[in-house]
Amino acid sequence: MKVQISNGIFMALIINMVYAKAIGLTQGSIAREVGGDMWISTLFSTIQGCLMMLLTVYLIRKTPSLNIIEQSEVLLGKWFGKIISLLLFFFFVGAAGAVFTTFVYHLKDYFLPEAPTFLFILAGMVIAVFALYHGIEVIGRMALIGVFSILMLNILIIIGSMSDFDIKELLPIFDAGLVPDVWASRHNNTDWAMATLMAAMILPKVKENKTWSKSGAYGILLGGAFVVLWPILESGVLSAEVAGQYIISCMQMARSAEIGLFIHRYEMIMIAFFALSSITQIIMTFYCATISVQRIFGIKKFNRTIIPVSFVLSAFGYWVVLDHHRAISYIESYWVLLAMSISVGVPIILLLLGLLFKKKLKNANAENLGT
Amino acid sequence: MENNLDQHLKKELTANYEENKLLIQKILTDNGDLIVREFFFHQKKNIAIVCFYIDGLVNTNIIGSVIDSFIYQAPRLLRDMDINTLYTNLPDKINKHILHAHSVKLISKVADVIDAILSGDSVFIIEKCDQAILVSTRGWADRAVSEPQTEQVVIGPRDGFTENLRTNTALVRRRIKDPLLSIKSTVVGKSSKTTLNIAYHRGTVKKGLVEEVMKRLDNIDIDGIIDSGYISELIEDAPLSPFTTVQSTERPDKVAASILEGRVAIFVDNSPFVLIVPTYFWQFLQASDDYYSRYMAGSFFRLIRYFAFIISLVLTSIYVMLVSFHQEMIPTALALTIASGREVVPFPVLIEALIMEISFELMREAGLRMPKPVGQAVSIVGSLVIGQAAVQAGLVSPFMVIIVAITGIASFVMPNYAASFSIRLVRFPLLIASGTLGLLGFTVVFSLIAIHALSLRSFGESYLAPATPFQPSDQKDMIIRFPWWSMERLPHLAKQRQRASDSQKPKNPQGNNNNEG
Repeated sequence: MKVQISNGIFMALIINMVYAKAIGLTQGSIAREVGGDMWISTLFSTIQGCLMMLLTVYLIRKTPSLNIIEQSEVLLGKWFGKIISLLLFFFFVGAAGAVFTTFVYHLKDYFLPEAPTFLFILAGMVIAVFALYHGIEVIGRMALIGVFSILMLNILIIIGSMSDFDIKELLPIFDAGLVPDVWASRHNNTDWAMATLMAAMILPKVKENKTWSKSGAYGILLGGAFVVLWPILESGVLSAEVAGQYIISCMQMARSAEIGLFIHRYEMIMIAFFALSSITQIIMTFYCATISVQRIFGIKKFNRTIIPVSFVLSAFGYWVVLDHHRAISYIESYWVLLAMSISVGVPIILLLLGLLFKKKLKNANAENLGT
Repeated sequence: MENNLDQHLKKELTANYEENKLLIQKILTDNGDLIVREFFFHQKKNIAIVCFYIDGLVNTNIIGSVIDSFIYQAPRLLRDMDINTLYTNLPDKINKHILHAHSVKLISKVADVIDAILSGDSVFIIEKCDQAILVSTRGWADRAVSEPQTEQVVIGPRDGFTENLRTNTALVRRRIKDPLLSIKSTVVGKSSKTTLNIAYHRGTVKKGLVEEVMKRLDNIDIDGIIDSGYISELIEDAPLSPFTTVQSTERPDKVAASILEGRVAIFVDNSPFVLIVPTYFWQFLQASDDYYSRYMAGSFFRLIRYFAFIISLVLTSIYVMLVSFHQEMIPTALALTIASGREVVPFPVLIEALIMEISFELMREAGLRMPKPVGQAVSIVGSLVIGQAAVQAGLVSPFMVIIVAITGIASFVMPNYAASFSIRLVRFPLLIASGTLGLLGFTVVFSLIAIHALSLRSFGESYLAPATPFQPSDQKDMIIRFPWWSMERLPHLAKQRQRASDSQKPKNPQGNNNNEG
């Protein structure tokens, strides 16, 4: 039986896929570039992410039962499909570097600085492999709880930091200028890229294809709303200058929040509610990479591919995370280049090819309907 | 011997009276409680009849009345019959014209005869007849209907299931007087031949659920079923999981309510625990009182139970994690108090916690197994040992005693024993991981448990529904219990969704106000 997920779960996956890194590492990178305009950059990024998601949905809707790799196979044959799979595999290997950095630095730097890094990578890998064996439906349900956690975390951080919030810190707006603000949004665009390419892989599993666009766009907008709160609070409470000095600016934010005497530091609360989103990012990265490898080598059984792919992604993640300078330089330069070129390039190429080979897509649809 | 027995059981009764009699005695050899009562029920024709039954399993009054019927009523029927046609269809004639017993059946297979005798029925074999008369005479000493031991309530009915299957189904029938309530019967267990009854409401049960239950029950191939626990383990979806995916209850009101919501109940003869499927995890946090108290009180106590569930699962682990690895997360004043208490304790916090948790489990188990008066003594001595004495000896810190005590009490708050045991079980890996790897260990093990729980299903239904997958309409009976007048619809599981008509909310009667003028 073909596994199907609801549109609500699809939205939850999108929200989780963008949240953890976007509030953790991304805001620091943006703050270093545009200072107090970090929230404006995040807003711009949300709009761009929304457009990319709509484009992805438009693309997949041409062959609703086929994911982006299968569609590329229909368009230009098996080998073209393998090239696209390879590109997507590279993308998700790169994404693993970014999401592992988020996961490991949150836990290691703030809670267990003396613990060896491989333990954190191993932990992420074990959880991801375990979840992957249970399938997309279970991962989706986990993401649904993740949304609840995100909501709780946001509410708590608002309550805990409102007393120190100074709106004047957000002014003047467009201080860095419109173009730099838009340019800085590329950091957050890498987070949306993970969500849009994930959507391109899993959309055929989403039940109601008529509302894909709506679910996708709402997912991005809700995710954006959850994320944008952080740069606003970070600017208003910590100030952009301070936020920009930390790799994980959100943890610094959590550290400064308090409710009374006994809830005086939020790091633990932060991790409690943030962990599911971070873990979902790791799991979905592994999931999409596994599908890509499955198509590259034509392996029929998904389960057989999980372990080798997990080792590759974890090894890369470990290499990135091992050195803080390397991690930041990777996330702020190489990852942006890799993520943007693949997440924008691949859908646009397929869109153009789809215009050229409309008949092939039509035939593929008819064939799938027939079966 | 076994082969011989199988061959004998496959046989049919013959017209040879002596052969039939000897065959049954041979099959049931070495049974001191087997009664063979032989008599003649026609003075002139001297028709011989033999009755077989097991002493202790039968109601002898019924047997006496059946024998009376043979001796005093039969001669009248047989008086004018010709000797040549007398034996033709004699058991049938006797059944239709003479016997007063409420349940009578004619049987001809030896296996049926043996089953009937061993089940507490009586079998009468008449000479020159190849059919036997089975009279239902079951009657043995039963425990009276009493208050359930494991699920007591403050408000609500006090009756609980007993070991008698028919009493149990009757307790539910008394609550649902609907022709749509069906009770199917099946027998499981090669030696025990345990009768199982599957009860459901035809109007609300989801399509395919009863068939699935029957299929799983039919697939059971085992020598004996002694209690419903056997069935639970043999039909559940996740046999390797620490979580139980089949609910068992001693309460007829709970079973009746579940049946009305579209679930299936499995009654097992000789067991006071009835199984309910499919099961959602959250059901284990719902007590019967919730529905009989006013919705505000019910909701409040349910919230307390959710809170207790969280405490029971994570409190010790969080304490161990914070004290071992993340002391900076504890408010300074509290951290100093904990530190002063731990000053003389020679063990790491994890070991301290494990000692305490295991001691607590030991005490619980000892208290349960001991005779009641001794059990109380064990509890008192145990609480002294793990409390004051252990603290004074410097083996554990006072804070740890408090933590373990709260955790223990919280685990008893769960209304279902099996579920509270599941929680106690998963607490240990969480505790060990937290004590060895701090927040990382806690996160990993908690995530693994969450993923595992999310993957569980109970008869096709997600174990964590209606939380995930999220069912908005079912939230009215999840964390808080909405008023009955607002729960118009049955849960998503039910085929037919309407529970009550709309606008059931009581209205303030007109004129019932203070404005008399």
